[in-house]
Amino acid sequence: MTALLQARGLTKTFHGNIAVSAVDFDLTEGEVHALLGENGAGKSTFSKLLAGVYPPDAGTITLAGAPFAPAGPADALRHGIAMVYQETSLVPSMTVAQNLFLGSERAFNRLRGITIAAQQFLQSLNFTVDPTAQVASLGAAKRQMVEIARAVRLNARVIIFDEPTATLTPEERRHFFALINRLRRRGVAIIFITHALEEALQMADRITVMRDGARVLCAPAAELTQADIVHAMVGRELAIETVSRDGHRPAGAQVLSVEDVSMGALVRNTSFSVFAGQVTGIFGLVGSGRTETAKIIAGVLKRDFLRGGAIEYEGRPVRYATPGPAVADGIVYVTEDRKLEGFFENMSIAENLHAGRLSVAGGRSPFVSMAEMRALAAEWTERLSIRAGSPDARLVELSGGNQQKVVIGKALIQKPRLIIFDEPTRGVDVGAVAEIHALIEHLADDGMAVMVISSYLPEIRALSDRILVYRQGRVVEEFSPADATDEGIMYAAVH
Amino acid sequence: MTTTQRLRPRATQEGIVLLMALLLFAGFTVTLDGFLSAANLLNIVRSVSVLGVLAAGMAIVVIGRGIDLSMISIMVVTVAIQLQVMHGGWSTGAAMALAVAIALGLGAMNGYMVAYAGVSALFATLASGAFIFGFVRSQILRQDSITLPDDATTLLALGSARVLGLPLDVLAFAFVVVLGWAALRWTRQGRFLYLMGDNFQAARTTGIPVRPLIVVSFMASAVLAWAAGLTSAISLQSVNTRIVNSTLLYDVILVVVIGGIGLSGGKGGMRNVVVGAFLIGVLLNGMTILNLPNIHQNLIRSVILLAAIILDGQLNPRDEQTSQQGDI
Repeated sequence: MTALLQARGLTKTFHGNIAVSAVDFDLTEGEVHALLGENGAGKSTFSKLLAGVYPPDAGTITLAGAPFAPAGPADALRHGIAMVYQETSLVPSMTVAQNLFLGSERAFNRLRGITIAAQQFLQSLNFTVDPTAQVASLGAAKRQMVEIARAVRLNARVIIFDEPTATLTPEERRHFFALINRLRRRGVAIIFITHALEEALQMADRITVMRDGARVLCAPAAELTQADIVHAMVGRELAIETVSRDGHRPAGAQVLSVEDVSMGALVRNTSFSVFAGQVTGIFGLVGSGRTETAKIIAGVLKRDFLRGGAIEYEGRPVRYATPGPAVADGIVYVTEDRKLEGFFENMSIAENLHAGRLSVAGGRSPFVSMAEMRALAAEWTERLSIRAGSPDARLVELSGGNQQKVVIGKALIQKPRLIIFDEPTRGVDVGAVAEIHALIEHLADDGMAVMVISSYLPEIRALSDRILVYRQGRVVEEFSPADATDEGIMYAAVH
Repeated sequence: MTTTQRLRPRATQEGIVLLMALLLFAGFTVTLDGFLSAANLLNIVRSVSVLGVLAAGMAIVVIGRGIDLSMISIMVVTVAIQLQVMHGGWSTGAAMALAVAIALGLGAMNGYMVAYAGVSALFATLASGAFIFGFVRSQILRQDSITLPDDATTLLALGSARVLGLPLDVLAFAFVVVLGWAALRWTRQGRFLYLMGDNFQAARTTGIPVRPLIVVSFMASAVLAWAAGLTSAISLQSVNTRIVNSTLLYDVILVVVIGGIGLSGGKGGMRNVVVGAFLIGVLLNGMTILNLPNIHQNLIRSVILLAAIILDGQLNPRDEQTSQQGDI
């Protein structure tokens, strides 16, 4: 078999960070090729290079033997490469038929005409979707079908699915796989990105694993086991583990107990406890509900009113409607998305740090002391070694690491007794990572109850005294650092 | 990165406006007879005093990333009711207390709709302004124009009072600016307002009571609307409800935006209100002396407002993330 699509040495960097580095890849007609890897391994970026969303920095793509350099997604589509995103790109207020023919309507467009054409076309694919139904009224699987039908209608020879099954129910998932098989028989080549190993092994002809932007494994699915894949996914040089752990901290008093907490479909009956003087690590992939759980604890989100479970903090039941009272009680959440909900970008370092003090010093003087603000800024820029020209530098002007330090400083100024770090080192330069890790260790040594949420395994392993693994909205397994292995944790998180 | 590029001009926006105002001032001084006379300078300040008080209220809401389009309605309605009950025999103090209470209530209603019911400030206040005025004018007020009662000696005396040669409206503007400046700079609520305007989600996560704060900011703008209305009623000896249909609201927004208080929130202060009011005052005064027809004046004002909003959009872009956090 000759390759339909071939990539050689494909490379892409964003702001100096290598997202995809020299990846070779090929795809033959009628092949289903699974693309696996941890969050941030470069799978999505790589497929977007193929689909023309980004131009590559280096490397070549060949399509059916001819060099291929798409000018954009539309151009890639004209050449037969379609990408189906997780968030579908359909127009919800239009019918299925209108969506199928979107962008290829004639000047005088007859609704009846395209409905009939859509009906015939959907039947030819064996898709049971009503062409007159409004897309908004369809379930996730049907929407995916419409997306796929649209890709097929445009004569896509290659269809790339970005985590197609993440939002599907088991029933819908079966339909989806049947569909993949039908497409395969029509000679369409399929790349599908997934987190679910068993799906990849079951569906794919070949499996490629990416790690840190590079291809680390490419083999026929029949020759692989789940263990091989997990090993390939996590077996990196663990630069981060140079911060060595000198023994485990014993558990102090129980600070937080979460019992059967639920929130919609994102958090489902999760239960765990957090103890003082320890780092409780929570590992889970993006979308596993760990961030939502943390936000429920900190009052940012509200758990279900009925059957929402119980949260006990320092021995008394709590249910916070807003973060204010939680912060006043000593529960502080350090967000994973600092730009969106962490810092005040047009404010100075001093003002950001001061915001932490102001919001907890309730009942005290209603007036603000600028001298206090300056003193606070001087103390904490020193203590956290925030590197900036002056405390008056605005947050937009700082590097990711310094921004994160300011956010952490703002949290620590609030004198928390339970602090939750969500992805504390995301988008942070290497030097700052080590400093932030040292700080977290230090807090636990001083007796604070610390939670660290991360989808970066080495980080969890380096910091945690206990490791809780999150999957599908709940804690599914607990490891002590002594008997944890990377493979074991990853297996629990993706299985 | 692009951030640094767009930051540089932002710092000088206020300066640009001030420079424009000074140039205009210099230009009028040279070309127009009598522009620089003491009487005319006082005229300039007087002409923008009521506008300035309103703009101070608007500024408070805008800093918290909102907008209050019901200010003129609230201003007219509270003052008209105050004067009407005084005609009906209420004492000045009681009528004033009633008017303030109504203003606070209306502001709280606006704030509740925005903070708790989740209606965007633009629509909530657009609708409430129309409703408040329509309801009160049709159900309570008997005529368009209500005069100051002849027996309201305190208010009448205030109208002709001068402190340091300055009339009441100028003093009111100065007082509001100083008070507003102090509140925004030196109180916790003032600081919270900036933080909330800069990043609503971050403010909430940090533990700032954001929703009560929104309500308070709308209550402040409503009370300042009443204060502006009363000041104007005292100097004009009456209140004309038809002012709701004038371009006053746009002038208020013009002052706020042109002064450099970004509609995206978290920036600016009373100084910007003063700068904006100064520019508008000089412009209006000059155009009046030049005897430009009203329609041309409006044309010039609307072009300036448009330019200011476009400039604001360029200097303080609303990126994807800010727009996710809710629009004005």
